[in-house]
Amino acid sequence: MAQEARDQALDDLAGAVESILFVAGRPVRLESLATVTGAEPARIREAIDVLRGRTTGGGLLLQAVAGGYQLATRPEHAETVKQFLQTEHAEKLTRGALETMAIIAYRQPITRGEIEHVRGVRSDWHIERLLERQLIREVGRRQTLGRPIEFGTTELFLRYFGLADLSDLPAMGERGVQALLEAVR
Amino acid sequence: MAEPTRVPPPGGGDQATAQPAPAGPFTRSVGYKVKVPGFEGPLDLLVTLAHQGKIDLTTIELSGLTGEFLHRVKQSLDLNEATEALWMLAALVEMKAKLLLPKPPPPDAPPPIEDASDLPEKLEERLAEYRAFKEAADALRALEEMQQKIFTRAPEEAPSELLLEGVTVDDLFRAFKEVLERARRQKAAEVADEPVRVAERMRAILEALARAPAGVVFADLFRERSSTVFIVVTFLALLELIKDRRVRAHQDTPLAPIRLIAATT
Repeated sequence: MAQEARDQALDDLAGAVESILFVAGRPVRLESLATVTGAEPARIREAIDVLRGRTTGGGLLLQAVAGGYQLATRPEHAETVKQFLQTEHAEKLTRGALETMAIIAYRQPITRGEIEHVRGVRSDWHIERLLERQLIREVGRRQTLGRPIEFGTTELFLRYFGLADLSDLPAMGERGVQALLEAVR
Repeated sequence: MAEPTRVPPPGGGDQATAQPAPAGPFTRSVGYKVKVPGFEGPLDLLVTLAHQGKIDLTTIELSGLTGEFLHRVKQSLDLNEATEALWMLAALVEMKAKLLLPKPPPPDAPPPIEDASDLPEKLEERLAEYRAFKEAADALRALEEMQQKIFTRAPEEAPSELLLEGVTVDDLFRAFKEVLERARRQKAAEVADEPVRVAERMRAILEALARAPAGVVFADLFRERSSTVFIVVTFLALLELIKDRRVRAHQDTPLAPIRLIAATT
């Protein structure tokens, strides 16, 4: 009996979380969900699990991204959704920009000079584009000669690549990056 | 002895066609050829021979080589070739410097340091690092593709979206009118004001926001002076900054004070 009541309460909480995520349209942090529902963070996590189970088989998925959770459409329906929205999807990053992005993501905070040292070519143009798209930002200045600007990634970076946080970046080398590429191919 | 083999230069350098490449195992790269008293041939051959001790660097005038390099670079610049040549010239200078300097007494257990072999090793290391990042870029591409297949209710990456959080344009305008009215009430005598420029006010707003990471309340942006022109121009500057997505406007609840935050922090 008590167990059933508890399950009902969890289902209700999952419903409340789902409603919030539906109207938010952007990742909502666990703490925000806890504050607004008055539930313990651990309970919210349970509710998120319930919600995950509930969304399987539907048109939506629940994604942990940029330090929060969001509801999004399933990739299977990408073409249909795109047609409905009638919007050209965001332009993909160019090869050079993507390389620059990778170096910044894995080595941040990093200066322009260090980026160019790895790539072996000037990268100002790519850095500018990444700044413009708000995937990177200036995070400070290196305390060395000339006080060069240090770059780091933004919250939009996490959302753009669907990462929960920076530790979600696949590790360089066999286990992470190569395994991911294997899985995709 | 094999026939001298001709290897096309990498990167389309044209020096190699001028003379046949020397016979032997050194046909890997013949991009940059040099001719100085005591040696004539590809620069990387010179580096190899010098490293193996088969040629005495102290008898070779490096200033001739570097002078020639600068001259050629000024004539026409093939960046790939010039970079490679520069690396090799630097290696030669380093080797020669070590030859000319008095050697320190050998330590008890001489560490196996090989001067010039550092260079290919370092190059190899850097190439490996670069390759690893290329792979990481491929992984990011895969993630990008995945993420571009899913849509959220209000895709925030849409470039048309302004950084207004809980704030409507009406809210902004109402706050602006309040400031204007307050100024009118306070105005004792409006003195002809100095000219105010939007660009200047944009800079001032950004500076104020940089000093306050938690943000600045809307009305506080107008405290400095209260002439109508100053308020209007400051408001225009603020709208411009919001339009450029350099400033975020945030309001916790409807009718709460609007807080402005620098968008990059």
